[in-house]
Formats: sequence, structure tokens, C-alpha cells
Amino acid sequence: MTLEGKGLVCSYGATRALDGVDVMAASREILAVVGPNGAGKTTLLKALSGERRPDGGRVLLDGSVVSGADNRWRARLGLVSHRTGLYRKLTVLENLHFFASLRGVPRTRTVLIDALETVGASDLAPARVEALSRGQRQRVALVRSLLHDPDVLFLDEPFTGLDPGGAAALEDALRSRRSAGRIVVLVTHDLPRGLTLADRVVVVRRGRKVFDGEAHRKGAGDLLRFFTAGPEEA
Amino acid sequence: MTELRWIWLIARKDLLLELRSGGRLLSMIAFVVLAGFLFAFALDQSRVAGRDVVASLTWLTILFASTAGAGRIFDSEEEDGAFRHILLTPVSRGAVFLGKASANLVLIWLVAALSFTSLNTFMGVRSPGSLAAHAAVLLPGTIGLAATGTFFGRMSRHSALGDTLLPVLTFPLLVPLVYFGATASARVFLELPWTEISGLVRLLWAFALGSIAIGAFLFRHVTDE
Repeated sequence: MTLEGKGLVCSYGATRALDGVDVMAASREILAVVGPNGAGKTTLLKALSGERRPDGGRVLLDGSVVSGADNRWRARLGLVSHRTGLYRKLTVLENLHFFASLRGVPRTRTVLIDALETVGASDLAPARVEALSRGQRQRVALVRSLLHDPDVLFLDEPFTGLDPGGAAALEDALRSRRSAGRIVVLVTHDLPRGLTLADRVVVVRRGRKVFDGEAHRKGAGDLLRFFTAGPEEA
Repeated sequence: MTELRWIWLIARKDLLLELRSGGRLLSMIAFVVLAGFLFAFALDQSRVAGRDVVASLTWLTILFASTAGAGRIFDSEEEDGAFRHILLTPVSRGAVFLGKASANLVLIWLVAALSFTSLNTFMGVRSPGSLAAHAAVLLPGTIGLAATGTFFGRMSRHSALGDTLLPVLTFPLLVPLVYFGATASARVFLELPWTEISGLVRLLWAFALGSIAIGAFLFRHVTDE
């Protein structure tokens, strides 16, 4: 399974957030998209997931064009973002039940509690989200994103504000997605974490791809240079 | 069936959130009661009979209260970015719109019932006419208000003007609804025969169904980037 973005162009008014970016992610691979703030990373994720219709270029899954308007594509993807996307006034179980129902996946109490147990959060089931810490909420958000066993998991700055326990649980979940043959696309401005987790790294800067390669072959120092320098300098 | 289930799930979730937070409904109720109280003082009831004006006041109160509530329909969705996750599920944009509008409609019904009762009380109206006829007029009117408010409530989220934009966008469009609704309600208060009311009710239904259809069709344009 492959997910490709070809010649992706996205603009916000006169500002070009993505300027002809080509990117590819494959099964059994964690792709990290890194870059400084405002580089266009989140726009790239939104273009790939179909949340934002690109002004140019296309997104292909196994060679077929997909878009956000296609509900079969939306059924195959999951998202974890720095904003948890949970309803504070609902309990953890109610949140999971709601999203599982929308996706038409099993949603019995036992199934949902078992899903929470995978991140060590089954005891949080009856608690309202507003009573949880940031790390606990993010664990629940991770469970929510995996309820339907998505083929492609997008993560948009998921480590922001996460405690070490939560970060470790998230890293474990990403590795297990990779082992299960799924595609993982991780957007982060945290270069060291991106390098640690990812198999491949794409560095985006000022809306352009300035590096695309295996995370472990390229020295961290070189990547840092791509990360911080302009494309012409790199 | 799937679409109906999605609509039900979204509406039920919105009502549960409203029940637990209560912010929007409470502010709408407070507005209705205070408006009725003020109208009772603003009108010289020795010269103006309450029965002559209560229909118009009821419709204006429901309009203002529902518009104030419409600005907050998407608050819970934006609080922690939940709407982004709903839009990434396979649920159709039309079902999202209809689910949100259905929950909004339930709140507007509560407001309409309270508005009708409180205004009749404050204006000293003793025989308001057939309650069934009032309900038959208010039903399509409130559906039109709920659909319009939900659509423009979302649209105003994208604007820097926010809630200020909402009445500017909705009030001109709602002129026919208020006109048909207030005229039909006034005729019910005057206990005119249904044949003199039914034409206006049909126009209200046309407005309501048109608002639903257009809102459901265009909703993706105010949700998708």
C-alpha cells in the first residue's frame, strides 16, 4: 500500500503554503514530515488526508486518486492531532462510543474498554474528559483514532504537551501500526523525535520539500542543517 | 438508514452536551423571559391590545433568541477541535448539517413554547385561539429558523466578524419567514378559519424544506477547506 502526494500546491490568499511538493509513504513505514513552524507541514498533512483540497496536484492511494469528498477514503484514515478532538462534557466511554458509532465499528462497552486498555487507560472510561490531564486525553484520542483500524494514520504534532508516559504509549502505538503493515504519517517540529521514530524523513521549509530520505542514513547534523537552513543554502 | 442514524447520533450528542453545559439554552431562556417582561412595559396596554401585537412579538422574540443561540451551535465542536474529527469520518456533510440542525430545532421548540407562554402572560392575553393551530404555524417556522441558523452559524465561524455577522446574514433572508409566520399566528389569535391560515402555513413549509435542502447541499462549502 502506498500513499502519494504529487505536485501538491496549497495557497492561503497570496501565501503559498505548499509549492509543488511530492511525497510518498508506504506500508510498514513511519514517514516523519519535519520542518520549522510555518513551513507547511500541517497543510501537507491536510492535503494528504483530504481535509484541504489542494489548489494543484493530486493524492493517490495505491495509484488511485483520493480526496476528502470520498467517504470510502475517509473510512480508511485516522488522525491524532495536538488538539484532542474530544468533547469535554462527555465521558471517555461516551466519546469513544460516539466516534465508533459514526464509523460503524463495534462499540460495545467491552470492546471500548479493551481498546482503552491497550494504552493503559481503561480506568479512565467513566471519567469526563474535562477531568483528565493532557496526557490522559491524548491517550484517549489515540484510542479513538485506532478504533476502526485505519490503513493510514496521520499525526499532527501529537507529542505537544504530552507527559513521558503518554509519549511512550504513543510511540509504542506507532511502532505497532508499522508492524501491522499500515502507513503512518507523522508531522512534527520535534526533529530528534522524528528521527528516532521514523523510517523516512521529509523536511519541508517555506512550502517546499528540501530533503526526502531514510532517517537513519542521513546524519542528524545534516538533517538539522536542512531543517534550519533555507533550501538554497541546504 | 445510515444517514438517519448519523443524524440521530449527532443530534443526540449535541443535546447531551447542551444538557450538561446548559449555557446556550439558559441564555436563550433568559432572553425570552426578559424580552417578554420588557415588552409588557414598553407597550401602553391601555391603548394597544395585547392580542393585536403578541403574534409579532412572539415571532421576533423567537427569531432573536434563536439567532443568539445559533452563534454558539459550534462552540462544543471548536473547543478541542472535535469537528475536524467528525469531518474525517465517513459521515456525509448533509448528515452533519441535519444532525446539528435537529438539535438546534429542539432548543428552538423549547424557546418557542416559553416565548408563547410568557408573552401571552405578560401581555394579558386570555384567549390565544387554538393551541393546535399555533403549533401548526410554529412548527414549519421553527424548522426554517433552525436550518438557517445552523448554516449561517457555521458560516460566521469563518469570518473575523464572528457572531456580529450572523444577524446581518440571516435577518434579510428571514423576512419572508417572519412575515408569513407572524401573519398566520395573528390570524390564529383572531380565531379566523383555518382556510385563511393554511396558505401561509404552506409557504412556511416551503421555506422550511427549502432551507433544509439548500443547507444540507451547501454545508460542505462552509465546512471544508
